[in-house]
Amino acid sequence: MVAPGRAGLPGERLPLRGVRVANFGWGWLGPVAGQTLAMLGAEVYKVESRARVDINRTLPPFAEGIRDPDRSIQNHAGWAGNGSITLNLKQAAGRELARRFAACCDLALENFGPGVMHRLGLGYEELRRLRPDTILVSMPAAGLTGPLKDVRTYGMSLSSIAGLDSLTGYADGPPVPMENAYADPLGGIVGAFAALLALWQRRRTGRGQHVDLSQQEAIVQLIGPAFMDFVMNGRVAGPIGNRHPTGAAVPHGVFPAAGTDRWVSIAVLDDEEWQGLVRAMGAPAWAVEPALATLAGRRAALPALHERLAAWTRQHGDYALAGLLQQHGVRAAPVLDVGDLLKDPHYRARGTFIEVMHPLGFRETIYGAYVKTSRSRVEVRPGPMIGQNNDYVFRELLGLTEDEYRSYVEEQVIF
Amino acid sequence: MSDDNVKWLDDVAAGGGALQGVRVVELGEGVSAPFCARLFADYGADVIKIETPAGGDCARGWGPFPGDQPHREQSGTFFVLNSDKRSVTLDLARTEGRALLLRLLSQADVLIENNPPARLRQLGLDYAALAPHCPRLLMISITPFGQTGPYADWHAADLNAFHLTGAGSRYCGRPAEPPLQHGTFSTDYFGAYVAVTWGLAALFGRDLAGGGQQLDVSTAEAVAALFVGAQNVGGCAQTGHFDRRTGIGMALASPATILPCKDGFVWMLALETGQWRGLVAAMGNPDWAQAEMFDDMFTRGENADFIYTMMREWTMTLGKQEIMDLVQAHGVPSTAVYTTADVAGLPHLHERGFLRELEHPLLGRLPTLGAAVHLPDCPGGPRRAAPLLGEHTEAVLRGELGLAAGEFSALAAAGVV
Repeated sequence: MVAPGRAGLPGERLPLRGVRVANFGWGWLGPVAGQTLAMLGAEVYKVESRARVDINRTLPPFAEGIRDPDRSIQNHAGWAGNGSITLNLKQAAGRELARRFAACCDLALENFGPGVMHRLGLGYEELRRLRPDTILVSMPAAGLTGPLKDVRTYGMSLSSIAGLDSLTGYADGPPVPMENAYADPLGGIVGAFAALLALWQRRRTGRGQHVDLSQQEAIVQLIGPAFMDFVMNGRVAGPIGNRHPTGAAVPHGVFPAAGTDRWVSIAVLDDEEWQGLVRAMGAPAWAVEPALATLAGRRAALPALHERLAAWTRQHGDYALAGLLQQHGVRAAPVLDVGDLLKDPHYRARGTFIEVMHPLGFRETIYGAYVKTSRSRVEVRPGPMIGQNNDYVFRELLGLTEDEYRSYVEEQVIF
Repeated sequence: MSDDNVKWLDDVAAGGGALQGVRVVELGEGVSAPFCARLFADYGADVIKIETPAGGDCARGWGPFPGDQPHREQSGTFFVLNSDKRSVTLDLARTEGRALLLRLLSQADVLIENNPPARLRQLGLDYAALAPHCPRLLMISITPFGQTGPYADWHAADLNAFHLTGAGSRYCGRPAEPPLQHGTFSTDYFGAYVAVTWGLAALFGRDLAGGGQQLDVSTAEAVAALFVGAQNVGGCAQTGHFDRRTGIGMALASPATILPCKDGFVWMLALETGQWRGLVAAMGNPDWAQAEMFDDMFTRGENADFIYTMMREWTMTLGKQEIMDLVQAHGVPSTAVYTTADVAGLPHLHERGFLRELEHPLLGRLPTLGAAVHLPDCPGGPRRAAPLLGEHTEAVLRGELGLAAGEFSALAAAGVV
């Protein structure tokens, strides 16, 4: 096997070609921040170590069921596009190499708690000494300053301090947890956004900066409408089920379809769409009531309206029902489960999920370029093998001699 | 207001917004395209929002409204998504309206839109039609299902997009009940963040890429790939096995759930052994929690019902912030479930200067959400309240396109603007 040299996705006309990134990120947010920049052409290197193998590498499922840190499929999805170098940051020499490497990069990404990078000798001031216009994007849970700066969260609980979970659940019931961290991949995207803003600013001014990305502030944007209702009316929103977030559409929900755990989503945003739904149902007596012709009337008729609609929908298959409703101009779609994602004709047509060949010789399914670009051509490769870019980074980029390189490997600094 | 506007543009130049000089036209409504364009505006881009003369952006009709009295100039959703933009009304069904839009686009770097693809094709404003006139234009299209594929022309709202991702079925709701959305227009917001990020990159490297292009963002695809696909699809492709929602939090391990407390709810998470011991200490070392087998998160998962019952007795004696402060001091990553009121009053956000107040001619002085990211060298964030419908039509068309007074009033009389 030929060791890959420079990291970066193959592709053409990619706009971030030539941007080099040191990714000290971890968890789920860190890889996505790096991956986003990588998909767009940046050369991104994960900095990791065999001294403490990234937990993502230990998570099942493994390719062909073989447990190995280079075979975790979800790790390969999350870290797709990133390269990898190994450095043991517990050793002073490892930290020194990390500083030298960061100085060769346009920017560095990290999502430790505030102060951790500084304690590793990799804080903004330290990095700046070697490269005055360096950009460090820090992405802690609640930012680098303020009384909550040291709050400990997982992505799942992060959405709670952003107010999002208070709105999630069946209408008028208690909050129901989102059982995975929506905030993590989204925070990673926002991290890439922050990096790009800093690159823009540096292009304008020649200055770098230490970006203070609070995941809380990034995610709290999602509750804007409910936040404004509190600000304007003092109303504290609770869980809204599948209702329209400002109540401006009825019916608006998830309704049962024929089969076990099969559902269809229906959203009627105006009176004309309601008439389309009535026609699709064959204009039953209850639905042609004049009172239901207006939003106010339909809102007053909840929840009975939703129950009658459900009695109709459950007689139909989800895809067939969505197709019928679409013909009548109604916003409707099947509610997919995970198994459907790989079969659904729309995702298949768009190449949302792709089978890739890992350098170790097995095939695996990850997601592809989830934005389609008309000029740039992105080709996604799975996440890196541990240390796959060590040769290139340490020998070519940092210019270590053969003896230096070998002794760093022997001393488990490059490790 | 037009004087204020000129002043605002000067402020941006002085303050050094990272995107100063970037010119954006927004042809959007609702949440996805407007939020994407707000993120450009927050960092100094000049955003001209095109609205229909007949009522404008649909979010103007969504509310919330003060006192629940509908008024198209007083929608809270519109207010929070459209700060710092200039509103220009144009009837794009008319040839003259489209001609004016093309003139604006010829001066723009970016077009952000979330129209049904068929609508733009009918108007001759799709990317294939625009590209010959504006080869350097970056067109960011954000729709539920994207520009291609069998559902591209489906009618859809955020709800439909969200539930096409598998996120509800897999992660949210009780097993026998409907899958749940994530409490807001969560797919629209996710797609908007994706769009602004790819858009900024495509603009940053426009010359490297060889010119303008269209970014086709499907909000459903972004969430299906990044959120659901990342951790589920690889295994499913290999074995056919996949999981469904439990309604609890985490099926295998515990504690990982939302529990009620005296004044609300808390997200109780303590998976690693050290975190669990910290939680036990925070609870005052109750007898029930001493069993050594409970040091393993999977054993705790098998006994989740018992553990949650016992924990609830404790959480119900305290407030959410008390619990959060106490367990955090013991190294436990559990948090209060903050409500909108908690967020609006949170000392942390106030101390960081996150929440801003903006003056609006009809709504008065109102708080709004600050910049998504704090960049010390170019702070960003909203400066000016969302525009009234068509507030800047004359200023933009006369001031920037150079329409004569007579031309403008003729267009106005004809209902084009």
